[in-house]
Amino acid sequence: MNAWTDVIVVLVALTNLGLLGSSRLSVCIRVVAVQGIFFGLAAVLLRAEPITVDLAVVAAASAIVKGIVFPVLLLRTARNVNIRREVEPFVGFSTSLFVGLVLLAFALWIGAQMPVEANPTGSLVIPLALFTVMVGLFTIASRRKAVTQVLGYLTMENGIFAFGVTVVGGIPVLVELGVLMDVFVAVFVMCIATWHISREFDHVDVDQLDALKG
Amino acid sequence: MAIEQFVSVALALVLSPLLLGVINRVKAIFAGRTGQPLLQAYYDLAKLLRKGAVYSRTTTWVFRAGPTIGLGSTLAALMLVPMGGTPALVSFSGDLVLFAYLLGLARFFTVSAALDTGSAFEGMGASREVQFAAVAEPALLLGLAALAARTHSLSLSGIFAGSASSAAAHGPAIFQWWLQMGPIVLLVGGAFFIVFLAENARIPVDDPNTHLELTMIHEVMVLDHSGPDLAFIQYGAALKHWVIGALVVGSLLPVHPAHPVWTPVVAVAGMLALAVVVGVVESVMARLRLLSVPHLLMGALALSVVALVLVIY
Amino acid sequence: MDAGALILIQLALPALFAAACLVLRSPKAVLATVALGALVMAASTGATVWAVHVHGTLGAVGEWFFLDALSAYHLVLLSIVFGLSSLYSWKYFAHPHEKARFDLRTARRFGALWFGAAAAMTLVLESNNLGILWVGVEASTLLTAFLICLHVSPASLEAMWKYLIMCSVGVAFAFIGTLLVSASAAHAKLDGSDALLWTHLKAVAGNLNPTLLKMGFIFLLVGYGTKAGLAPMHGWLPDAHSQAPAPVSAVFSGFLLNSALYCIMRYIPIVEAGTGHVGWGLGILTLFGLASILIAAGFIVFQNDAKRLLAYSSVEHMGIIAVGLGLGGFGVFAAMFHAANHSIAKPLGFFSAGRLGQMYGTHDMTKMKGVLRVSPVWGGGFFFSLLALIGVAPFAIFMSEFQILRAAFDTGALVTLALFVAGTCIVFVGALRHAVRAAWEPADEAIRPEPAGALDIALVFLPLAAMLAFGLFLPSFASGAFAEAAKIIGGTP
Repeated sequence: MNAWTDVIVVLVALTNLGLLGSSRLSVCIRVVAVQGIFFGLAAVLLRAEPITVDLAVVAAASAIVKGIVFPVLLLRTARNVNIRREVEPFVGFSTSLFVGLVLLAFALWIGAQMPVEANPTGSLVIPLALFTVMVGLFTIASRRKAVTQVLGYLTMENGIFAFGVTVVGGIPVLVELGVLMDVFVAVFVMCIATWHISREFDHVDVDQLDALKG
Repeated sequence: MAIEQFVSVALALVLSPLLLGVINRVKAIFAGRTGQPLLQAYYDLAKLLRKGAVYSRTTTWVFRAGPTIGLGSTLAALMLVPMGGTPALVSFSGDLVLFAYLLGLARFFTVSAALDTGSAFEGMGASREVQFAAVAEPALLLGLAALAARTHSLSLSGIFAGSASSAAAHGPAIFQWWLQMGPIVLLVGGAFFIVFLAENARIPVDDPNTHLELTMIHEVMVLDHSGPDLAFIQYGAALKHWVIGALVVGSLLPVHPAHPVWTPVVAVAGMLALAVVVGVVESVMARLRLLSVPHLLMGALALSVVALVLVIY
Repeated sequence: MDAGALILIQLALPALFAAACLVLRSPKAVLATVALGALVMAASTGATVWAVHVHGTLGAVGEWFFLDALSAYHLVLLSIVFGLSSLYSWKYFAHPHEKARFDLRTARRFGALWFGAAAAMTLVLESNNLGILWVGVEASTLLTAFLICLHVSPASLEAMWKYLIMCSVGVAFAFIGTLLVSASAAHAKLDGSDALLWTHLKAVAGNLNPTLLKMGFIFLLVGYGTKAGLAPMHGWLPDAHSQAPAPVSAVFSGFLLNSALYCIMRYIPIVEAGTGHVGWGLGILTLFGLASILIAAGFIVFQNDAKRLLAYSSVEHMGIIAVGLGLGGFGVFAAMFHAANHSIAKPLGFFSAGRLGQMYGTHDMTKMKGVLRVSPVWGGGFFFSLLALIGVAPFAIFMSEFQILRAAFDTGALVTLALFVAGTCIVFVGALRHAVRAAWEPADEAIRPEPAGALDIALVFLPLAAMLAFGLFLPSFASGAFAEAAKIIGGTP
């Protein structure tokens, strides 16, 4: 099944680059949703042991929440605060793509440095999970709109989820579900906050939230 | 084997204008028109060759040399491109670099000829052309590097022969091969396709039918050429379609050289299929804003880099 | 009744109270429930801590919940801070200025989030499962976010957004660290759910994979350090703590930061044992601590806003605790002592700043002058709490800082010593200037002084008395508690 996971992993890398290079919010939201589903699939397919009910439940819950619930929430928020595009981010789109490629190489290098027992199958999932986390962080730092920062956070969580499932064999279901619930509440809270910000400020440009200084 | 190589070059020389005809016919079908005859490109070339050329007084030898050198370089590049698994007429280790530079030489002289006219119109086209090439050429080279790293050969012929033989080694289990190599092949193929569209001035990068200043890139650079010069330029453009198209088809569709008859047939069929696809793409998409074209090319570069990085690891 | 059930009761109480607050009928009822709930929780904490004292450790639900001296100590801190702040909020929100904005919906939201945050912090303290620990920290972040912008305004929204994003990202880093530490356990043949249990990890700490452990600790330090307000990840702290209502700020500074440091404290013995006791992890922790002290010192000198001043002081004190932890040995004992002192003095500072802010209508210290005349009780509280916080003898913070200095001297960490002294001196001078100006310069306009009730006097007097008492004479039950807690982290009294 290793070939399939590598295919999935390539697709995930492309979704990350797509997130970095697109300015249209609806495209970015869908791309992150697809990424969440793909990582969930890869996590399940990567298991050496047969798939248990626990793992299936976690994967299904994760796919549903990340693939359906989050895009709906985020698209509705984007519609409510009336933004369609990320215009003029701190780092331009072509430059972001370039930085993304550099981060990909860096993540693959770090993946090679990790001790062997963390990655016995030598698959690409771990470096790509790290890549996803880095892309999420870069998105939070380089974008102006609040919704895009939430997307960056979601991307980070996608990467961390994939990282966790492959590096640590057998995290208890309860912990995984707890984490998923936390992420869900986090995104929910962030969407409500974005709505408040747009109501109070008439924009969702977090760069302009700089009244508190010193 | 030598016969096949000559056959592939001959096919390219003869059939490349047909590609333009196929693209135009597909666009016409989409638009509900009858459209130009399939062989219109040949008629145009014949007509142009019979005419005389007019040279502006402000131009120098660069203007006259541009089309000739351009055609010459493209012909030389054609010698390096293999068709399917058959090796090219000329091949040696490192010829992929020469290939890229020959295309670059052709572009350099086209641009110089455009600048030589002293017209702001052509200068604008030249600057746009060079700007896009700055991103498209790395995409092409890195994609070739990815393929080279995978087949451990620095020659175009070696690369495509390597793909073909590794595909054939799986025989009926071609699906297995596809799955293993699939991501890389698709990534590189996708990158090459975007480069194809960019280098040959196809929508979404440039509209070959437009004559509006705002939107021209390639068209505007050749505005002042006439007669045989224009014929050379148009024929060179057709050859460039074939040359880069061979790269696209070769990376996506490896064909084993054990079939002397089938190889050219399949290769030509692949090229015509590519022409149809390009026609479809041209019909369903609109031209991108000039500011967005570098984004598209960066996307192609990203695809190439991802493929390269995956191959290395 | 099994003593372990106390753990679950401790967790269930705030959850129940939170649910109750959602259905109450008036803001006054909510505030009364808040005060009452805090007292009930304090009682339950007392019982739980007594049980830990008797049994040594408590466990529940297999090995997923666990209380030892360290978590019991922090439970005590939580209940003190939470209790005082709940009583204070009764007074704070009943003020005429607040009454208009504190309508029923706001009150219900406040009550539910208040107790929800307490439940989350209790979950952090009671978890043996490091994954659930993380869930608790993230939950506390999310629940407290809307407490910051209880009253929606541009400034509070800005503060809340910065807090939410920075702490969520930081806590996500901490999760990577948790995963890496758990992965290092594969080396020691721990697997599955066992690899996330702190007690098991501590037992096999010597056999963990050092590379993964080190990578994980860095992530953990950066991640939980963001939540704890260690520099340079402290950017959200001044905004969040200054824009939140005063009782919320008190809980933030008084305990929420400590809960994040608590998570780091849990990992210290594991990392130390795993890396061969060379002090690698402790060194990095000391570095973060010193950076926090120095950066906070710089900002305190130029600060004009009372609550921001207190917020930067929190950064400084978290840095001091981190330095204490990093020095090891006696320093850990001093760090525990310092944590208690800070958690008692800081809420008082925020209480005073809050009430004075209500009287003056602003938190700008250049405008808050003559506080001792306007309100002897709260003005005195503000002045003396600032003195206590900057380490004036004989308040207890002076003692704990002195002990950390002694620990640094004993271990020969002279650079640390020098930087520590420099930082705290700068803070001393800077904050003292503000305190004196606020207390003694004549008031600008005639501010209407408000009479102080018995509750006010109690809220001011009790923490100050405790600070004096601990400074002059540290009772044995306290020093015993600090020593027990320190031993778990790996220090010696």
